[in-house]
Amino acid sequence: MLSQFRRNSRFCAMLFALLFLLSLGAPFAAAQGLDAAALLKPATDTWPTYNGDYSGKRYSTLNQINASNVNSLTLAWAFHTHTAVIKSTPLEVNGILYFSTPDNVWAIDARFGRQIWHYQRTSEGDHIGHRGLGMYKNWLYFTTPDAHLVCLDAKDGKVHWDVELADVKLGYFSTMAPLVIRDHVIVGVSGDVTDVRGYLKSIDPETGSTQWTWYTDPDPGQPGSETWPKDSDAILHGGGMTWMTGTYDPELNLLYWGTGNPNPVMAGEGRPGDNLYTCSIVALNPDTGKLVWHFQPSPHDVHDWDAVETPVLLDAEYKGKPRKLLAQASRNGFYFLLDRTNGTYLAGAPFIDQTWATGLDAHGRPIPKPDAAPSPDGTLITPGSDGATNWMAPSFDPQTNLFYVTARRVFSIYYLTVTGKAEGWGGRDQNLWANSTIRALDYRTGKVIWNHETGESENGAGILTTAGHLLFTADTSGNLLALDPATGKTLWHLNAGGHMAASPMTYQLDGRQYLIAAVQDVLYAFALPEITESSAALTQSGHAANQ
Amino acid sequence: MSGCGLPWNRRVAQLLIAGAGLVLVMSLQNSTAEQKADGAGAAAVAAERGRKQFEQSCGFCHGADATGARGPDLVRSPLVAHDVKGEQISEVIRQGRPDRGMPPLPLSDLQIQDVSAFLHARAAEALHSASVPKAYPVEKLLTGNAEAGKAFFNGAGGCDKCHSPAGDLAGIAGKHTPINLEARMLYPGGKHTTAVVTLHSGEQVKGLVEHADDFVIALRDENGWYRSFRRDSVNVELQDGLAAHRELLNKLTQADVHNLFAYIETLK
Repeated sequence: MLSQFRRNSRFCAMLFALLFLLSLGAPFAAAQGLDAAALLKPATDTWPTYNGDYSGKRYSTLNQINASNVNSLTLAWAFHTHTAVIKSTPLEVNGILYFSTPDNVWAIDARFGRQIWHYQRTSEGDHIGHRGLGMYKNWLYFTTPDAHLVCLDAKDGKVHWDVELADVKLGYFSTMAPLVIRDHVIVGVSGDVTDVRGYLKSIDPETGSTQWTWYTDPDPGQPGSETWPKDSDAILHGGGMTWMTGTYDPELNLLYWGTGNPNPVMAGEGRPGDNLYTCSIVALNPDTGKLVWHFQPSPHDVHDWDAVETPVLLDAEYKGKPRKLLAQASRNGFYFLLDRTNGTYLAGAPFIDQTWATGLDAHGRPIPKPDAAPSPDGTLITPGSDGATNWMAPSFDPQTNLFYVTARRVFSIYYLTVTGKAEGWGGRDQNLWANSTIRALDYRTGKVIWNHETGESENGAGILTTAGHLLFTADTSGNLLALDPATGKTLWHLNAGGHMAASPMTYQLDGRQYLIAAVQDVLYAFALPEITESSAALTQSGHAANQ
Repeated sequence: MSGCGLPWNRRVAQLLIAGAGLVLVMSLQNSTAEQKADGAGAAAVAAERGRKQFEQSCGFCHGADATGARGPDLVRSPLVAHDVKGEQISEVIRQGRPDRGMPPLPLSDLQIQDVSAFLHARAAEALHSASVPKAYPVEKLLTGNAEAGKAFFNGAGGCDKCHSPAGDLAGIAGKHTPINLEARMLYPGGKHTTAVVTLHSGEQVKGLVEHADDFVIALRDENGWYRSFRRDSVNVELQDGLAAHRELLNKLTQADVHNLFAYIETLK
């Protein structure tokens, strides 16, 4: 016994010495964190932020999986969360995928699909969905249903700090994937059931302290406040939630963000005016939180048409000149093209049938029909409040120069139910019928170049394009799809047994490209078949037999 | 399964114990549900008393419905949002807000509890305002002209091509709540598409579509059996019973909707 104890203790001492030596080397060998350079020039082996890069194009330069071989795509692995539907896009950093559902974060092996850790923090607040995480060095940032921001150690999921972004008792919650810009963690808040004020915050990545707060409803007397009634509390309860992740142009040092609907949601009588900066695309300085310009897709919205869809940044030709552009297919059914240096409207058009506006004026402002607002006896229009599109990611493919959007026809009848002063929603629409389509738009005009019907009901699947001349998405019947981005023709499909309510992403590790698609509560990884020794031998023997 | 090999008397005893347990669980559930219902009922009664008290004591400044007048809107009040069982509200009522011109109010404990219940009920109403009540008043929907609706039904709308007030629509307004009737009038929903699938052999299979996407067509054949085919291996003819409804959704003016509803609502 004694000798064994001695042997053990000697072994332990050696082990400790070895661990000590390893820990000395750790700062140099810390290979699992995120190199900030990856955010500026995303490598093919990294997907470091919600949209893959700052531009929001959701275009990957990977082409191992391509139009000529997509038919042989096979399942690499599947990961079951056994929880809520996955609506997040995973990050992939140094061989680890990080993704979320409300209250939950997983780190899983990006090659083999095995769980590394699972973090759970149950909380009160709205659990409508969760879009994913942000990352800075070794830290992950996770927003919660009770409107907190939690910083986790990417190594093991341990909590580094946990700060409150907003007061859950007032109806706030948060679902978005934080956007990291240098030493700023940009986070937004949600919650339009109560009449609260929307804002965007910049948080210190190391300490969790607030660097700045930008309110979507300006302070009374400040620019923009003239679009709200005077001497009323409307502006300070005007909504404008910052639901989704924005985009960023490092050259201009401008942060682009979409803002949500004003409140009360369907009752506009108490808030006459455009209600800036709700339902807007805004450009902010990420260091100061100061507004640089704004454009409003839905002035004085009464239909819940958040303008939070990704403001996609394109560097492309417009009228013969290379331009810095910003494109959004907005929830109200219109596509908008802006000059992102100054917010000037360049072009726009409806990307799907809509019955609420007669068109856009010369400044890109929709011209609503006089009877399009919700009414006590019901107003029939399309799109319904779920929108002509919504949070599902669009994509821009520089190979085809086409902008892709998940578009829906949603016929709905809007009732203004409120009597007296409106609080909260003050009305609601009843959906009658919906169907969906993937549409390719000429980014210069918004003109529909091709249309691929994806079935009845509202499609919640986002889009990924790749240099392999592929567009990945899903239909409403549970089929995963690979389409030809030039024509919309189906190149591959698979009945995945459920709906995709997220946006696909891709990365390449050890020379193998993976396509990640979330279907219900399962994460699927697809890849081309591996050439293993046994399969190579089979092929060889097959050849031999044929000879 | 493990009980299968037991003597019958022990199995009966087990069943009896399990049955007794079930009854106990059910009775516990019932009493909890009743307590909850009682609790909700009591809260509603308190809130109603509170409404009257509020109108009388607070309405002048905060508005009879608590949405604000000279004083702030209390439906949106963070203090009300944070209040639990009137603890914070009672303090404000008793102490007043002298700095903002609100005097203390001499209300009893019960009166304060009632006012708190009323304010919480008002906040909850706002919180749940994102839906159309099932019992939506028909008067609000009846803004159209039934005669014009009838003319549209038999004329421009083309409704009479498939429907008749004496036939399939007889008594329809009595079968649905007004708000549902309006929705069903515009788009009835449900499965209405039939398909004729022609196989390579020339055989035809007809029936109600169970599933249709770009790749698969599946239906119930005339014998009630499920049949499915690769879409690219057969010829498919779809007969969409709701095509006319969808076409109309794109064309109807708001006046058409309200006139048509006024007419359909007469078909009691």
